[in-house]
Amino acid sequence: MEQINAGGLAAAAPASTRRDKTVIEADHLSRSFGQTRAAEKVTFEVKRGEILGFLGPNGAGKSTTLRMITGLLAPDEGTARICGIDIASDPIAAKMKFGYLPESIPLYDEMEVIEYLRFVGTARGLVGLDLQQRIDRISTRLGLKSLLRRRCGTLSKGYRQRVGLAQALIHDPEVVILDEPTNGLDPRQIIEVRHLIRELAKECAVIFSTHILQEIAAICSRIIVIHSGRLIADGTPEELAGEFREGWQVVVEGSGVDPQRCEEMQLAAGTPGAPGETVHQWLGDSIPDLDHLQKRLQQCGSPLIQVGVGRESLEQVYLRLTGGEELKR
Amino acid sequence: MKSILIVAKRECGAYFGTPIAWIFIALQIAILSFFFFLYSPFFIIESADMRVWFGLTPFTMMVFAPAVTMRLWSEELRTGSTEVLLSLPVKVRDLVIGKWLASVVVLLASVVCSFGIPATIFWMAASPVDWGPIIGGYIGTVLAGMMFLALGSWVSALSKNQVVSLLVGVTAGIVLVLALSPDFAAFLTSTSEPLARTVEALGVQSHFRSIERGVLAISDVVYFLSGSCLFLALTVFQVELKKQ
Repeated sequence: MEQINAGGLAAAAPASTRRDKTVIEADHLSRSFGQTRAAEKVTFEVKRGEILGFLGPNGAGKSTTLRMITGLLAPDEGTARICGIDIASDPIAAKMKFGYLPESIPLYDEMEVIEYLRFVGTARGLVGLDLQQRIDRISTRLGLKSLLRRRCGTLSKGYRQRVGLAQALIHDPEVVILDEPTNGLDPRQIIEVRHLIRELAKECAVIFSTHILQEIAAICSRIIVIHSGRLIADGTPEELAGEFREGWQVVVEGSGVDPQRCEEMQLAAGTPGAPGETVHQWLGDSIPDLDHLQKRLQQCGSPLIQVGVGRESLEQVYLRLTGGEELKR
Repeated sequence: MKSILIVAKRECGAYFGTPIAWIFIALQIAILSFFFFLYSPFFIIESADMRVWFGLTPFTMMVFAPAVTMRLWSEELRTGSTEVLLSLPVKVRDLVIGKWLASVVVLLASVVCSFGIPATIFWMAASPVDWGPIIGGYIGTVLAGMMFLALGSWVSALSKNQVVSLLVGVTAGIVLVLALSPDFAAFLTSTSEPLARTVEALGVQSHFRSIERGVLAISDVVYFLSGSCLFLALTVFQVELKKQ
């Protein structure tokens, strides 16, 4: 199996790319399907160089929002701008700026991979030698070189995904929009796609949706949590985790403080942490006195490793956020 | 214009890269040839015309045109490839015309493949060949075909299911060819003269017959071209509607 060569296009990126430039602006995007509110006043911005993870359970409104941004679905209210161009008023100019990979990776099964890439390339205004060079570059980068003469219908899911990515990237877009790009891939392919997304972010903005949390934590510089059509959180993975911290955690060596002595030290019973460590929740109202705590713990035979903010795992944040919404409904 | 040709080229690849187009062309010619040689007085009096051939054309067209176009949009809607197609910087109008143009290429290929019939007539007929009605018949075939294919394209954009597209397309064709026929118009004359005239004017047969006779009237050409434009506009509307 050919590897994805993530470095391929990075060298070709224009030197003038400004990382702080806003490339996607979603402004109060709302959309209903009958009685169902699929998206409700979704507002956010994405800057060049950012990897924005769009997190939400299935049916949360991720695809609806992405489809409104790409102009595939007209919003009931609100606007979407790609590189400052309104997708509704000038769709052709806006569509030149982004590459889009839909969730279902639809390819034309009867076409050879090279024919498909030529079709998408010419439709995107590429011609002649330029088109050929871009096909060469993207197929090398995505490990498709030896498959260019294969019919799309005979490709495995992983390779279909790569062809889908190739069509989205062939014109070196400023914005790459990927709807569940790792869906159905094996672990190795998932790692390759993550690596590719990280490389892409050096040149452009990447926005991708997923319901898999590990994915978001692994590569995103920013996360948006969407649930029941509403944007319920927006921040870096750390911010999101910190925002919902439970208090302070005291990490000690070994099996932790004896439960009988925990109470007098204002610690909750220990839970296993990293190998050879135990985590105690701080029960005091104020910030723990580090010197005092360190001495006491030393006496108990459980040397202190660190005292820090007890950050929930992203899973807990996510479950709480989406669960809360569920309850409100 | 360039976008239209890019889309048309891809669709032609889909038609001719697979057996679809060839099967349609072979079937249509086989059926028309069968009835032509069965019912035409060709072998009896070696008649040098193709009246039977062109008389049957609207009837075969009402079945074969939707069969050719049923995949144009239904297939894309079913697989979801419209998502990529509509994310390309190409106007919906150009996509619709490009796809339709590819189906017109299949029609033209079928017309060219049927040139063996007039060649046979020219070779075997006892009397001199009157080329006017034959050329007129072919022009009528292309014009009517363009309209049927535009109709089929619209119907295809209505459903994800190709079989549904085919059935609705054939039904619409039956309305245009049989329900709005000169015979039905004649039947209506006793009831309402204006209604009869409207039915005749809207039907395919009356327009096709006059072209087939070798009379290329502007009104008939306008009928087929405006019909094509109407159905293509409806297709654009239908595809745009998917965004709503």
